[in-house]
Amino acid sequence: MPPLLRLTQACFGYGGKPVVRDVDLEIQPGQFLGIVGPNGGGKSTLFKGCLGLIAPLAGRVERFTRRLGYVPQREHLDSIYPLRVDEVVHMGAYGRLRGWRGLSTEDRRLAQECLERVGLAARARAQFSALSGGQRQRVLIARALMARPELLLLDEPTSGVDRGAQQQILELLLDLNRRERIAVLLVSHQLQMVREAVGEVLWVGGGRVQRGEASTLLDPAHLDRQYGSETADARTLED
Amino acid sequence: MEGVPWGERILLFRWALLAALVASAICPLVGSFLLLRRTSFYGITLPLFATLGVVLGFTLLPWWIGHVGLGGLSVEAALSDSHAAMNYHFAWAAALTFAGLGALVALGRRGGTETGRVAAAFAIANASTILLGRLSPLGKGFVDELLQGEILGVGVHEFEMLAVLLGVVLVLFVVFHRELLLVSFDREAALVLGVRATALEALLHGITGLCVAAGTMIVGPTLLFGLLVLPPLAARRWARSMTSFLVLSGAFGLLSALGGILAAFQWDLPLGAAIVGTAALLLVPGLLRPGAGA
Repeated sequence: MPPLLRLTQACFGYGGKPVVRDVDLEIQPGQFLGIVGPNGGGKSTLFKGCLGLIAPLAGRVERFTRRLGYVPQREHLDSIYPLRVDEVVHMGAYGRLRGWRGLSTEDRRLAQECLERVGLAARARAQFSALSGGQRQRVLIARALMARPELLLLDEPTSGVDRGAQQQILELLLDLNRRERIAVLLVSHQLQMVREAVGEVLWVGGGRVQRGEASTLLDPAHLDRQYGSETADARTLED
Repeated sequence: MEGVPWGERILLFRWALLAALVASAICPLVGSFLLLRRTSFYGITLPLFATLGVVLGFTLLPWWIGHVGLGGLSVEAALSDSHAAMNYHFAWAAALTFAGLGALVALGRRGGTETGRVAAAFAIANASTILLGRLSPLGKGFVDELLQGEILGVGVHEFEMLAVLLGVVLVLFVVFHRELLLVSFDREAALVLGVRATALEALLHGITGLCVAAGTMIVGPTLLFGLLVLPPLAARRWARSMTSFLVLSGAFGLLSALGGILAAFQWDLPLGAAIVGTAALLLVPGLLRPGAGA
């Protein structure tokens, strides 16, 4: 089966200076991968490279699907916008709009379905900025689902929300992954959460990427042996 | 104006009143995006660049007519109400507006504080307008009227030009408002969805520049400042969705124009300033209302 995304000796950075180097990576349909590592280690840079938001400085990035769903960190979205929940979800179809025409009936129905899938159909007319952090995160997942994604990419989806909301978001992602075979790639600094939820991880640190089983790679003893103080930062944050 | 029946006043100043109504309905739509993108100061600074362009146009007018020509017009004829002279001044207003906007955007990409940049641009454009105006007294009366917000002198040519240019702004806005919203709210998501973010941002800057250049040239910076900033601010207090925000911005703009026209005729006030004053009054109920707001 062809992969959804393939990175070959890819190198990403800013202003010509590499932050992560020589990344070889394939993401297959139905995979669930986490990107973890210390702050400043290059997680976000690799994530943006996978999304196509930054071009590789070297190597190759091949996307074999156009159906990407992207969930940003909700803190990056300005609450000054007087958006309703359904208006945010509708944005997921704006890439398909042509000229004068607005959303199709099909897209409106799909938006309703996506809100139902994340359990927020009843809040469709609520103000997006008035929702709790966890609810806003689920609205953004619903927006990403509007692209009918084969690959869902999430940037810190459980950061800054309480344990209950974290659990709801994780269960939702696992459900989408298992039932609909949507591949998931998520960035997180919460090692314990990733260890419990994710099968495989990409450890990004010191400009390098290592892929392995979450249970092995994120085992505290292994982390201390391999990286020493480099992991302290990441593990402190999860507490 | 005392003693002149209202019907006659309306007939006499119909083009100015129509210009005020058109500008009041459309400029707040552009201002609503300036507010959401937290670039409302652009709405105050860019009209000054457009004014500077008009003053520069007057300063260079004798040279221009001597060396380039302006449809065979003399300097005296070019100072009167003619299409060729209006196009000439609009070209200068647009050139300086887009130059100012381009400089602000380009400098913004190099970091630093936006407030500082815009404040510096405001000071420079304002001082340059005064200095150039002093160096070249040509067209002083026209510029003084613009700065004071007295727009009753607007004639049919000016109204036609304003209606066409703001009509273009409105059409572009209606066609692309969803994509412009997405790019403004979440640029990265727009890129992932295949929306051409850079082109749309350029379009938004183009719409802003066109609105500012046309508005400043015809109804003056005083009215334009107010229309770009105040109705969207009032609307933000009441809006429960993006659609209602845009509709309310335009509606508050129109209400301001109607109230301003009544006040200007009743108390013999400059029309532009009276409209801005009414727009400011419309802010008050929203400010007294507890809850969300900008």
